[in-house]
Amino acid sequence: METPNKDETEISKVEFNDSEIEYISYGGEHHLPLIMNLVDEELSEPYSIFTYRYFVYLWPHLSFLAFHKGKCVGTVVCKMGEHRSTFRGYIAMLVVIKPYRGRGIATELVTRSIKVMMESGCDEVTLEAEVTNKGALALYGRLGFIRAKRLFHYYLNGVDAFRLKLLFPRPDLHAPLDSPDKYGSHMHSDHGDSLIEQ
Amino acid sequence: MATLDRANEAATTTVQSRPPRIPSGDNSVWADVSPLLHAACQDLHEGDLIHGDNFNLFAAMSALEIMDPKMDSGMASTYYSLDEAIENGAAPVPVSDDKTTDVRCIIDIFDHILACEATWHKGHSLAQTVYSCLYLLRPERTSSHALLHSFCQIIRATCKAVLSVVSDSRTHEEEDLFIMAYGLPLNEDGNERCLALLNAVEETICRQLRACKTTSSKRRVSEDIEPLQNNPDLEEGYCRALLCRLRFRKHFYHILMSMKRPHGGGLELAREHIASCISEIGHIRKSSDFLRASAPEMSEQNIENTTASGCKPIGFDASLNCRLSAPTPPRAIKIFCLEKALEYFVKLLHDLDIICSCSLNPSLEAALLFVVKFQKSQPDLVSRAHLQLLLVQNGKLFGRYPMFSMITRAAGLPEVVENHDIQKNEFMVQLQQMVMNLLKIICTNAAWQRRKLGKMLQDWRVTYVQLELDFKKEFGNTSNNETLGFKIFQHILVWVEEQTYWIAFRFLTVGFELELYADHDYCMVYWYIYIVLINLAEKKHLRMAMSSGTGKKKTKKKRDSLKDAGTNLQISPAVRFLQSQIYLAEGLGMMLAALRNEHRIVPPQSPFSTEHEVRFSGFPLTVFKCITNFIKALQRVFGKFYSALDF
Ligand SMILES: CC(C)(COP(=O)(O)OP(=O)(O)OC[C@H]1O[C@@H](n2cnc3c(N)ncnc32)[C@H](O)[C@@H]1OP(=O)(O)O)[C@@H](O)C(=O)NCCC(=O)NCCS
Repeated sequence: METPNKDETEISKVEFNDSEIEYISYGGEHHLPLIMNLVDEELSEPYSIFTYRYFVYLWPHLSFLAFHKGKCVGTVVCKMGEHRSTFRGYIAMLVVIKPYRGRGIATELVTRSIKVMMESGCDEVTLEAEVTNKGALALYGRLGFIRAKRLFHYYLNGVDAFRLKLLFPRPDLHAPLDSPDKYGSHMHSDHGDSLIEQ
Repeated sequence: MATLDRANEAATTTVQSRPPRIPSGDNSVWADVSPLLHAACQDLHEGDLIHGDNFNLFAAMSALEIMDPKMDSGMASTYYSLDEAIENGAAPVPVSDDKTTDVRCIIDIFDHILACEATWHKGHSLAQTVYSCLYLLRPERTSSHALLHSFCQIIRATCKAVLSVVSDSRTHEEEDLFIMAYGLPLNEDGNERCLALLNAVEETICRQLRACKTTSSKRRVSEDIEPLQNNPDLEEGYCRALLCRLRFRKHFYHILMSMKRPHGGGLELAREHIASCISEIGHIRKSSDFLRASAPEMSEQNIENTTASGCKPIGFDASLNCRLSAPTPPRAIKIFCLEKALEYFVKLLHDLDIICSCSLNPSLEAALLFVVKFQKSQPDLVSRAHLQLLLVQNGKLFGRYPMFSMITRAAGLPEVVENHDIQKNEFMVQLQQMVMNLLKIICTNAAWQRRKLGKMLQDWRVTYVQLELDFKKEFGNTSNNETLGFKIFQHILVWVEEQTYWIAFRFLTVGFELELYADHDYCMVYWYIYIVLINLAEKKHLRMAMSSGTGKKKTKKKRDSLKDAGTNLQISPAVRFLQSQIYLAEGLGMMLAALRNEHRIVPPQSPFSTEHEVRFSGFPLTVFKCITNFIKALQRVFGKFYSALDF
């Protein structure tokens, strides 16, 4: 549900040690303004305070903040719930402020959320990202997300989005469909075999 | 949200003390909540809210923060209302009392409207684009000004026509902003009248152009013609600039009307108007040097300009009706520049021309191929909607050919079966519906199309199974295999399988266009394509062999014959083409597998393992079986390396 603000002016990076970054799970109302400021600044979609509260009140354990010397430099906001027949996690917002980018902070934030989702029994995790958001697409690609579908003119600015999906493996993987399928029963299905063997 | 709990207590007390006035239903109790709200208000701080259990993300995101310009579309910008804008002289009629200035400003208005129109077609709301023109919002106001009035009328009629094509075609599911037109005046003018007025205005300007070009000796004859404006030096230029703009509108409207005719009856005529329209665009472009030169301030040739003159047009305000635009937060829409708008229209016209060139042959296969080819140039919504309406009218192909007869032909059955009662079989009816849906879906934008094709695969498989059951029920225990009914079932079953693989193939290839595949996915995608194509070729070959009467013998031998194309001369060109695609997919798949083995393509080392087959969950089971066997075979040949591949 995010679209980053376009302003890509070069910002001088801050010198810091990775170990100086502290990751904290959402701890209450005092964290809310920190999250809101970060998201308001970096993402173009306007969210009312109710949208933020909707997420952080219902799934406080899925939201994380990154601090450097007491300053909030990044955040991730998520939810999870039933979707059709699956239990699905959803990453709603992810932001790291410019001087702190490129140091793995976003990766760490998202990884923490996904781990909680996995432990809570999610089958999959999804999110949307603008097709032009190279940074986010690379980040999620490295985490194993695939581009499940493209959403035409998803954002109000007319840009398409990818629906990204991370599917946790299940044991019954190679029995693909829910119902027993008579469709292929009378068909030959060994082309692959014969091709390799010839 | 502690407020909520306290409020609930209040509610309970209220309900007890005062009986509900509205009778309760099965699952509901009606109560007066005013006291509850009053009580709660004292506790509420900024950002607090009272909500019920069903308060969800959608509700949260629908909340507006009043006076936040990012959200509150009711916030007044320049004017509170259209009336106020008009009273303040935001859209005077005439635009100027000086005739030369009036003409100049009107050309700017025409240009800006064209830019708005292209922006609308590309997916923004009508209210915030074309109807940001205040002159369009009050049709009666322009009636004293023939030039402006005729133009406004044709614009409204054009918008209405385009809107109806798009909403009739229902290709717009993801593009529904396009058809929102609540509260906008679209219906004011009769079609005939708007063309008549436009023609009259065009005729007048033609005579003015002729008059200004005649030599002074002949001038006396035409002296009764009042010039367009006051400056003789600019007369010819302005006449020409107006004429091409008016003619563009006229021809464009004619195109829309001709393409609407039933059974594709107006396509030839439409092509003539398309050619005229394109040539008028050329004239519009040529007029820009003159218009820029005659503008009050010489402006740079700026690529951002929405008008040829480079001047800001008079009479537009996008904020006035942004409340009408859509249930979304208001956004400042960036209107296309004039050159980009003209480019858009040239593309649209070319795309419409391709549609008009469609041979209306009674062939499903040809129609499907036509659409696939058409989609390669990534046509926009308006032309795709036209194509869809041409393809499927009244449940018939091109409005002429019943779906069942198209299916029997595609299945290679003789014409005599076209009226067979089998078409009333429940699942045959379903099949006809599915073919219609397929035709419509492949006209939609690639993103939507692929999702729908994925879902459709399931429908085709289910219908296949149902048809097969009916087939067995009817003919299972009779020895009479030569009846027409038997033959129809037999052919159609094979055709349905063939078509299912065709859909799967399309589903896979559209994924490339949408950039859904990462580098390390390609290997798997080509294997899928390979397997799907083998099945497709097999079914196609079988179906063709069946119709040429050699079906039974061929069935047994089909796989050998397919593999060894060289020795079998009875393979049709269509199947041969598929064979070359099979070889290509196989080669690419092999190459990519080798690259992975050599670690030239490295899949991401994710801390979470993920399952890639999620992409193909709708595929026929055969495809999965083939893939699984295939991987086993690869593992046998390549050994341990392949076990590392996460298919
Ligand atoms: C996207 C964003 C959260 C990334 O934050 P970050 O802390 O810089 O990300 P990380 O350092 O964890 O990046 C991890 C990987 O993502 C990729 N990546 C991140 N930003 C990238 C960029 N601008 N270009 C290319 N790849 C990028 C890289 O592969 C990077 O790994 P590497 O540095 O080892 O090559 C941050 O840029 C941001 O806040 N952007 C604006 C808001 C936004 O777009 N949010 C996501 C919407 S879905």
